[in-house]
Amino acid sequence: MVDELKAKVRELLKNKQVELVIGYQRAADGVSVIPCFVENEKDAELLIWDAYCVYNLSGYLKDYPGKKIGIVAKDCDLRSIVVLLQENQLKRENLFIIEMECHGVIDEKRLKYDTQNQEINFAQKCKGCPSAKLSIADCVIKDKGEKRKTPDDYDEYEPIRKMEAKAISERLKFWQEEFSRCIRCYACRQVCPMCYCPKCVAEQTQPAWFSKGTNLEGNLSWNVTRAMHLAGRCIDCGECERACPVGIPLRDINKKIQKDVQELFSYQAGLSAEAKPLFACFDKKDPDDFIK
Amino acid sequence: MGKGCMLKITTKEDLTKILISLLNDFEIIGPKELSHKGIFYESITDLKDLHWGEGFTTEPVKKFFLSPSEYLFKGRYENGQEALEELPLPGNKRIIIGVRPCEAIGLSLLDKVFNAGEDQDKFYLNNRARTILVGLSCLKPDKNCFCTSVGGSPESSRGLDALISPVGNEFIIEIITERAKGIFESLGRNLNQEEVKLWGSDKKRREGSLNFRIKVSENLDNIFESEYWEKVSKSCISCGVCTFLCPTCHCFDLVDEKRKKLRCYDGCAFCDFTLEASGTNPRAARKERYRQRVFHKFDYFKKNFQENLCVGCGRCIRFCPVKMNIAEVVDKAPLV
Amino acid sequence: MTEKKNWEPKIVAFLCNWCSYAGADLAGTSRMEYPPNVRIIRVPCSGRMNPLFVIKCLMKGADGVLISGCHINDCHYSEGNFYARRRFAVLKKLLEYTGIDPRRFQMSWVSASEGDKWAKVVRELVDEIKSAGPNRLVDRQTHSAEV
Repeated sequence: MVDELKAKVRELLKNKQVELVIGYQRAADGVSVIPCFVENEKDAELLIWDAYCVYNLSGYLKDYPGKKIGIVAKDCDLRSIVVLLQENQLKRENLFIIEMECHGVIDEKRLKYDTQNQEINFAQKCKGCPSAKLSIADCVIKDKGEKRKTPDDYDEYEPIRKMEAKAISERLKFWQEEFSRCIRCYACRQVCPMCYCPKCVAEQTQPAWFSKGTNLEGNLSWNVTRAMHLAGRCIDCGECERACPVGIPLRDINKKIQKDVQELFSYQAGLSAEAKPLFACFDKKDPDDFIK
Repeated sequence: MGKGCMLKITTKEDLTKILISLLNDFEIIGPKELSHKGIFYESITDLKDLHWGEGFTTEPVKKFFLSPSEYLFKGRYENGQEALEELPLPGNKRIIIGVRPCEAIGLSLLDKVFNAGEDQDKFYLNNRARTILVGLSCLKPDKNCFCTSVGGSPESSRGLDALISPVGNEFIIEIITERAKGIFESLGRNLNQEEVKLWGSDKKRREGSLNFRIKVSENLDNIFESEYWEKVSKSCISCGVCTFLCPTCHCFDLVDEKRKKLRCYDGCAFCDFTLEASGTNPRAARKERYRQRVFHKFDYFKKNFQENLCVGCGRCIRFCPVKMNIAEVVDKAPLV
Repeated sequence: MTEKKNWEPKIVAFLCNWCSYAGADLAGTSRMEYPPNVRIIRVPCSGRMNPLFVIKCLMKGADGVLISGCHINDCHYSEGNFYARRRFAVLKKLLEYTGIDPRRFQMSWVSASEGDKWAKVVRELVDEIKSAGPNRLVDRQTHSAEV
């Protein structure tokens, strides 16, 4: 697969179809993977592709407005590109999307703890990957290996349902404990392709919406607000949870909204670049039962 | 071994017993493992929770001295006049145990900033005064550690009141300061001559065991305008992880919140860190911000205080969402 | 955490100018009696409401938050309340998920002629908040408006 990828990238650069290709390369330690910015044919040799290619690179696309960029994308990354197109943050004609047929990426954090287990610990998000047949890519590089099968009865919202079933005081205690570790580093925001506000609500001072301090008020407000701002836009790439240095289960919040949005409005983010964003439209038959 | 240092050897049980007895007078803070999330410094009430094994805390001890967020003072109106009200400083005594040598060196470096002649930060210094630091030497530095390349060591006792080295099932405790003497003096037994020699050579061996070595240029100045910075900073996403988890980063923001002045962590990596009231932003470009980080650590601080501001703990590499590697960047920096 | 005796809930209500605010005004001019615990903030339309307002109220210690707007199809700006309905359906579920009592955030449609409905909504809301108890989410000592 990687040879096909390198050939394609070299071709794109040679024909000047793109000025830059964003992909993955091996880090100096020989194990980790880091983003790779290929600007000439020679550097295409650096590109790699394996289950360690966890990052969602689509966040970098916004840094090059007006330039023609190629990008190596997995299924989840494609969905975030769709949302960015939907919101007019990217121009389709400036993108060359190389889809890698992905069979799952590792969970970096679990790798540290389960070294006895020979099997690769796939990230939670991969277990229920819809592998939606998005036809947005310009070229697809297929994987000749056997595809991992998701069991038919796999419920991607199972952790959410478990949380919903808990008593309200238990939920509060759980989230208070998790958010007590939040250091407001904003890694979740910076790594999210969908967080692109020039001035984030957390940084506004006139008025200040919530405390910048790491107290409960500030941390709970920040995380709840960010989740609301991602409603109908989050495509569960899982980068926020991966980037969080203190291990807050951010996917459990964003997926909760993803579930609600699907159940309440039959809306799924990242499927169509032509669809209207969730909160930019409404349905006359939207649920009403919570209103007196 | 420094002058006045005492070396003792003791069992884990005896050490635990002493710590339990200290719970009456001190808050004991130590590393606690949260499954699949990491190791964090927490207040320990049950000594069984203390994590003696390998692995590093996500956040360094810095946060107990320079707080991630604290209110400095309060403003009030009294008889139509503005008045400042001091907020009470915390007074309870603490022992932080399990501090890695790199973090303690980090505090010594922070002392140069917060305890500098006329500039005395009372919040930081109050925390320093009421805390005893008991270090834990690193038996297994990991692949991202490079303390020996920046003047540190997995066995360094700089900045610590006492340093514990695990040896088999026992602990050797190097007692350095008077206040640590008061606490650990009665513990275990003294080391004999033979054991002291063995301890010394073990230390040397471990110091040499770090595989990851870098060379830090003395003349980063020469390459300030180099295109190198653009190249190496391309993947930085401008978050605050490296800054907030760094044992020596100390930039902060001052914000008014409801008549109280809040001090919270800030980082040069953030896009708006240098945004001025005029609207100008001297470091609007990512490469400028990343270069700033490298230079502050390996050039500016050296010019002011004759030491690197980096202690080689590797946290910035370990926790960076895109694995930016400042050690590699510095090591591979061109000479011209 | 001092529990004040005879605690009275403090509820912030965001009322749309054209329907709910007028309805509340009608309740007043008709001398209808209802509990005084509600502090009203007038907004042009329920569609103007930002979920941040609700979050901020709850974090600053409000015991309850109410948003009230025009009935569906009756919005003065045609569609504002449709957008509000969508937005706050999501917020309500999220707040409950993070452990905030669902009684603390509520929504109602009250028209300009429904003074009696307004009084009823407030009465019921205050009862529910009273049974939910004071909002202890954030320590009032460090985050309240002390002079």
